[in-house]
Amino acid sequence: MRTFLLKRLPSGLLVLALASFLVFLILRLIPGDPATSLAGPDASPAAVEAIRAQLGLDQPLFGQYLGWLGRLLSGDLGPSYAIGGQVADLIGNGLGATAQLALGALLLVVLIALPLAVAGATTRSRPLAAVIQAVTTAVLAVPPFVTGVLLVLVLAVSLRLLPAGGHESLLAAPDLALQYLAMPALCLALPSAAVLARYLKDGIERALAEDYVRTATALGVSRRRIVWRHALPNALPSAVTVLGLQIGHLIAGAVLVERIFAWPGLGQLIEQGVARRDYPVVQDLLLLVVAVYVAVQLLTDLAYAWLDPRIRWE
Amino acid sequence: MTSTTLPPEPRTDRTDRNRYLSALRSWRGLTGLALVGAAALAGLLAPLLTGTDPNAQSALALAGPSAEHPFGTDDLGRDLFSRVLHGIGTDLALIVTAVPVGALLGCSAALLAATSRWADLAVQRAFDLLLAFPGLILALAVTAVLGPGRWPVVIVIALAEVPGFGRQLRAGILVQREREYALAARVGGASRARVLLRHVVPNAVDPLIVQTAVALSLGVFIEGAMSFLGLGVRPPEPTLGSILSQSVAYLATDPTFAAAPLAATTALVLGFTLIAEALNRGIRR
Amino acid sequence: MTALIRPPAPSRRALLRAGLAGAGLLTLAACRSAVDEVANTSATAESSDTPRKGGVLSVATGVDFTPSLLFAQSANTLVQRLVFNTLTRYDDRLRPQPELATAWEVAPDGTGVTLKLREDVLFHSGRRFTADDVVFAVKNLQNPARSAQLRSTAAAVTDFRKNGDFELTLLFAHPVSNLFDLFEFMIVPDSDSVEDAVAGTRLIGTGPFTFTDRKPGSSLTFTRNDRYWNPGRPYLDGVEIRIVPQAESLLSSLRTGQTHLSYNVRGKDVATLRSDPQFRIKQYDTGAGAYYIGVNVTAEHVGDKRVRQAIAWAVDRERFVQQALGGYGSVSSVPWPKSSPAFTEAGAGHYRHDPEKARALLKEAGLDRITLPFAHSNDPGATATAQILQYDLQQVGIDTVLQPTDSPTMQKQLISQSMPALWTLSHGFAQLHPATLAVSAYPFNEARNSSHFTSPAYTDVVQRAWNRGDSDSPEAKALYQQITDVLLDEEFVIDLAIAGLVEVAGRKVQGATLNKFGYLNLDDARLTA
Repeated sequence: MRTFLLKRLPSGLLVLALASFLVFLILRLIPGDPATSLAGPDASPAAVEAIRAQLGLDQPLFGQYLGWLGRLLSGDLGPSYAIGGQVADLIGNGLGATAQLALGALLLVVLIALPLAVAGATTRSRPLAAVIQAVTTAVLAVPPFVTGVLLVLVLAVSLRLLPAGGHESLLAAPDLALQYLAMPALCLALPSAAVLARYLKDGIERALAEDYVRTATALGVSRRRIVWRHALPNALPSAVTVLGLQIGHLIAGAVLVERIFAWPGLGQLIEQGVARRDYPVVQDLLLLVVAVYVAVQLLTDLAYAWLDPRIRWE
Repeated sequence: MTSTTLPPEPRTDRTDRNRYLSALRSWRGLTGLALVGAAALAGLLAPLLTGTDPNAQSALALAGPSAEHPFGTDDLGRDLFSRVLHGIGTDLALIVTAVPVGALLGCSAALLAATSRWADLAVQRAFDLLLAFPGLILALAVTAVLGPGRWPVVIVIALAEVPGFGRQLRAGILVQREREYALAARVGGASRARVLLRHVVPNAVDPLIVQTAVALSLGVFIEGAMSFLGLGVRPPEPTLGSILSQSVAYLATDPTFAAAPLAATTALVLGFTLIAEALNRGIRR
Repeated sequence: MTALIRPPAPSRRALLRAGLAGAGLLTLAACRSAVDEVANTSATAESSDTPRKGGVLSVATGVDFTPSLLFAQSANTLVQRLVFNTLTRYDDRLRPQPELATAWEVAPDGTGVTLKLREDVLFHSGRRFTADDVVFAVKNLQNPARSAQLRSTAAAVTDFRKNGDFELTLLFAHPVSNLFDLFEFMIVPDSDSVEDAVAGTRLIGTGPFTFTDRKPGSSLTFTRNDRYWNPGRPYLDGVEIRIVPQAESLLSSLRTGQTHLSYNVRGKDVATLRSDPQFRIKQYDTGAGAYYIGVNVTAEHVGDKRVRQAIAWAVDRERFVQQALGGYGSVSSVPWPKSSPAFTEAGAGHYRHDPEKARALLKEAGLDRITLPFAHSNDPGATATAQILQYDLQQVGIDTVLQPTDSPTMQKQLISQSMPALWTLSHGFAQLHPATLAVSAYPFNEARNSSHFTSPAYTDVVQRAWNRGDSDSPEAKALYQQITDVLLDEEFVIDLAIAGLVEVAGRKVQGATLNKFGYLNLDDARLTA
């Protein structure tokens, strides 16, 4: 296992290095520049030039790139251009909010998908299977931005059960914070839960059709035991891969969900950073996302190898 | 090497075709085909089904369904019947171009990965990179470089599908490679490439079928999300996503606006999903 | 107060809630409700007859505050008058009223103004406000990095003469007609912390509220300034500005009572709130800027002013106001809203919807069907606007290729004068003295604008209107009419409509006002029970 990690880490770092270059380049390929958006709608060219010089944007590109890497390595991310404040603070706050959202959503994904999949794969009641089928399909068939707005209309505006949007600190008021969290997490979780439920259900059904299950049934092993001890564990490895993929979708989906629910997370921060061409914020943030992703993938692969002994530790 | 040392190949092309066909004749398959077929037909025949220009505007905005406008009108007084039909056409054209491209790229990468450990490492990291990049940034960059239009949407959808296909195939290959028949083939002296292409890949294809369905529906969603963020096809060309995101603003006041595009989107996604499930069940039988 | 509080009987809503709450929701609903928590923020208000005190007012806005644009007119100007003060403030008839300046006297030749300042004003840091702070505020606006639109007016100040700590004379290079626009616009910051202010970390002013916290992209919070110079004010304990970028979500936050006040509700959404007794809706006649089609006069075909006039005749402005602005706005061929001294009915109604006339003008220019690129911002509102205009132009033989562009890209193209043949945007700065528009708003700038338009006649009339000591004499008005005539003839900026500036306030909110630049003034605001 340690060799597994040792082998995977350098390639992870390589991905990060490559990503840093890509991020830097792509940002500068996108038209528009920080100085003009900082200067405001009625700025004179003189004002733009003054701001450009102040930000060091008149320096050669390669120098700017090295300067950025240098700051990263020294651990000082510096101030943001347009959003205001230190980049480290902005990202720290956003990360906290998004982590709450993503963890909440992930928990909901598993809580929704697991029972649905097991029930769907094992039930003998046709109507129940059809309902589960219909629910998972319907959730998949409605775009998340429509689901989000519908949730707000029903749960917040009509029933007044949950707040329409916003965020409360988990430390200051945990009970309120959870209510603010419930709707965005649900909205983010639903599509992923549906995808996972379908994969898991397929996997369980496939495993139930295998010879060893027939043997076990013949030997008198109870059905419940077969499902939970044999079929489910066999379906898990590919489900974990899917879940790993879904984490990517959760992060990407956060952009839309955070916008609909005014959730001050990384999605909003990235959107704002891009909308104002706040290079430091976007660069550092994207690199962080890549780093988190690489780490998550490493963990998924570890989990995969652990769950499926047929994959060797290489 | 004698072929008798090899276990019978689990699947051949001929039986595959039959299994797929009989799978499609199940109720799921037929319903799915009917839904997709109806939507596709409506989209393709849009110019024949409606004489109304999908971009013609009028003062009659946000009208409910009537004889003249079966689905009502949008906020600029355009006929929703015509817009939704033409929108289906645009969406189908986009995803039917993008998904095969993405699948092909993803599968090629997975095959490449199966050749050596280094290739596997490189391909996996490439997938990581692609997945790690928030779609918004990708969409923004592609649109910014190419300008608005259909191609940026196709490219973004295709790129988004690459890792899904690639990782599914790779996972399948990993599992199948360790199975008895593959081991036996290897022991029997078959070349690495032959084992991979003749024995392992055909057995690892199943998850890709499910993946295709999800990919097609995901394509509809990515188009929608790009429209929602103002990065979609060039207006005023209608797409399901652009009509839907336009209608979201009126969900509370004029819900009929959202009904038709939502129904069309649901029909497409539901249809693709049912077809895939039917195929999937057929394969397993 | 010892009012007897009887526990309320379970309402239908409570029963519904209990019934609907699933396993997850049940545990949540058992605690405090975030919905009720928000709705009850004003419950702390004392119930007495005199103005009620206390409570935290929550304002919803679609755009986050941009610290670097603190001294410029930007999309979010809610902060300025909460934390800071201006020297004077206009009343409804554009007469200056005292704020930090208690009296003023303009020199007869218009080249100087003497100000008397309040002596009882403290900055939030505890430092006393003096004439030096006014000097600093003017110099601050002269700094190009502040990108203040009224920089040209501030730059006309060449010298300062202090007479003690609370009297000051500003001397000008030439008379300026929009002097009090500057005093309405210019906030007075604390000189020690101004760099922190534009970085968004510390805002120190003399205003009714002190800045306590900012969560970028989420909220800004303020608490009452107990040492505020205006006696007894403010009534509120604090203010919260919530940033809600998605228009539907902003509307939901108002409907659920999570926020009390907003100036960012789209016209078409206001229409749906009109019948709701929960809200009071008020329109400001300064407008929220004007929608226009910009023309790059160096591009093919549109260098001919007949083509530009044809575009002006081709647009159905009435439909535009109905469908794009939900009816909250007024058709206009000129940039001036009703609050401007340059406003005339004849000017506003100069161009009507007349496709025949448009086609005739095109023919006169020797053109039949032309195709032009047409840039617009890629948000939903601007995309709808562009499609409406595209359709109208198509009817007279002008085909357009829409170019959705994100706002930083658009901004860069505007400033670097690299716009395509046509674009649509909105502009501000027409609500006050007409000269302010032509020397401060970039689309109309006589020296350099995105249209590449220059004309000696335009420059001449703008300079004469600006370099005057008075602003509403008959001669001044004649000059404004000349500016209007040039704009209507040349049509390098084709004005379409003045957007309504609409205030949507919950019933509980009273006394909130905006100044002419949209700075939110909550000195007299209060929440009723």
